[in-house]
Amino acid sequence: MTSSGLEAVFLANRERLLRFLVAHGAGDAAEDLLHELWLKLTATQTGPIAQPISYLYRAANNLMLDRYRSTQQASKRESDWTEIVSDPPPSGERVLIARQQFELAQSTLDELGARAATVFLRHRIDGIAQRDIASELGVSLSTVESDLRRAYRAMIDLRRHFDEV
Amino acid sequence: MMEDQAIDWVIRLRDPAFDDWETFEDWLTADPAHADIYHAMALADEGVPEMLVAPQAPATPAKVRSSRRVWLGAALAASIAAVVGYGMIGAPHSSPYQIETAPGVRRLVALEDGSSITLNGGTRLTLDRKNDRIATLDRGEALFAVVHDTSRPFRVTVGAATIVDVGTRFNVVRAGTETRVAVSEGAVVYNPDSEAVRLNVGRRLKAVDRDPTIMLGDIAPVAVAGWKNGRLVYDGQPMREVAADLARYYGQPIRVSPSISSRPYHGVLSLEADGNLARLGGVLDARIERDGPGWSLSGRE
Repeated sequence: MTSSGLEAVFLANRERLLRFLVAHGAGDAAEDLLHELWLKLTATQTGPIAQPISYLYRAANNLMLDRYRSTQQASKRESDWTEIVSDPPPSGERVLIARQQFELAQSTLDELGARAATVFLRHRIDGIAQRDIASELGVSLSTVESDLRRAYRAMIDLRRHFDEV
Repeated sequence: MMEDQAIDWVIRLRDPAFDDWETFEDWLTADPAHADIYHAMALADEGVPEMLVAPQAPATPAKVRSSRRVWLGAALAASIAAVVGYGMIGAPHSSPYQIETAPGVRRLVALEDGSSITLNGGTRLTLDRKNDRIATLDRGEALFAVVHDTSRPFRVTVGAATIVDVGTRFNVVRAGTETRVAVSEGAVVYNPDSEAVRLNVGRRLKAVDRDPTIMLGDIAPVAVAGWKNGRLVYDGQPMREVAADLARYYGQPIRVSPSISSRPYHGVLSLEADGNLARLGGVLDARIERDGPGWSLSGRE
């Protein structure tokens, strides 16, 4: 699938993608956002794409997350780097904050237990599929699923706690 | 509970082979509140990896080595650009040389192993005749399309940091003491011997010399190194970065007023060959005016 092939798939699935953006809460902006997605897809040549429809859905999903992020930033100072760099606190303080975050994240991982922590890091950081993690560790897929559920919950809660501070 | 359901979707979507988009859409549609909760959870999840990077104490500034001054002299002598041969410094097994582009000039460098490096304007890159798997980005911006060889990983040095490919296409920007890396195919590892931050496709990183904080974020793979195709794609980067990209591309200085310097920009810029930046005012929602040899960018009244 070349990028011009991808554009054809985009046009053939235009209505589906539009519905998906609306489901994401795009509202009246859905058409504009679809156009933005089109511009991004046509902006550069891409390599071969094995699952073009899935690729388009994912791009649409990322676009909606970007949109949510920028509305969040507009209302509140966020941890996104552009914000941090534009108004950096003294570097000593930043190191301290980073260290506290790192230590709390490590102890949160520890509390999950060694297996769940490993499952989480393999999935979230290394990008390994659940099925592959299960066979790698010799545990069932449902064990991996429940470990991931607990771990993501804990880490997301911690991240949100930092973002509120 | 809704948050748990949203986190389940965050987990499922992380799977590279996820393709059950219609079921996901059904869940989003089932309750108008679902989208917002999912967005909040997914965004928090994006901020998780940076908590797992061990911060380091700031290092003391490195002393300037004498050889460094020689290099600088060579670079100044070659300020008009092109290729500067250089084969004196260092051990006999290394034979470094520099390639430099003038502001506004882009250039493709093909390496013997089939890898290629595209240099944006105002860029200086140091390569080695005796080893085609190492490169140093002294300043500017370059897109690396690397033929992967597990036994001989490709290494890019930027400031005090090293980036090692894991089979890949990635863009590196070096501006002053700041380094930015974005991956459009495959993956790279940033500083494998210390922080060892793995950047997969669609991820970007920003670091400043001697600052222990490494920033991580997402980038649409198609947005990486858009300059190569005459298009720049932005997802909330501050205006000063947009201006720096334009200045590098066109080779014309751009001043940015403080009032809009941090403003996030979302959009696509088509880069015309004539270098007339005035027409970009509309898409940038800013006032662009001639300013001496370059341009000034300020907010609209």
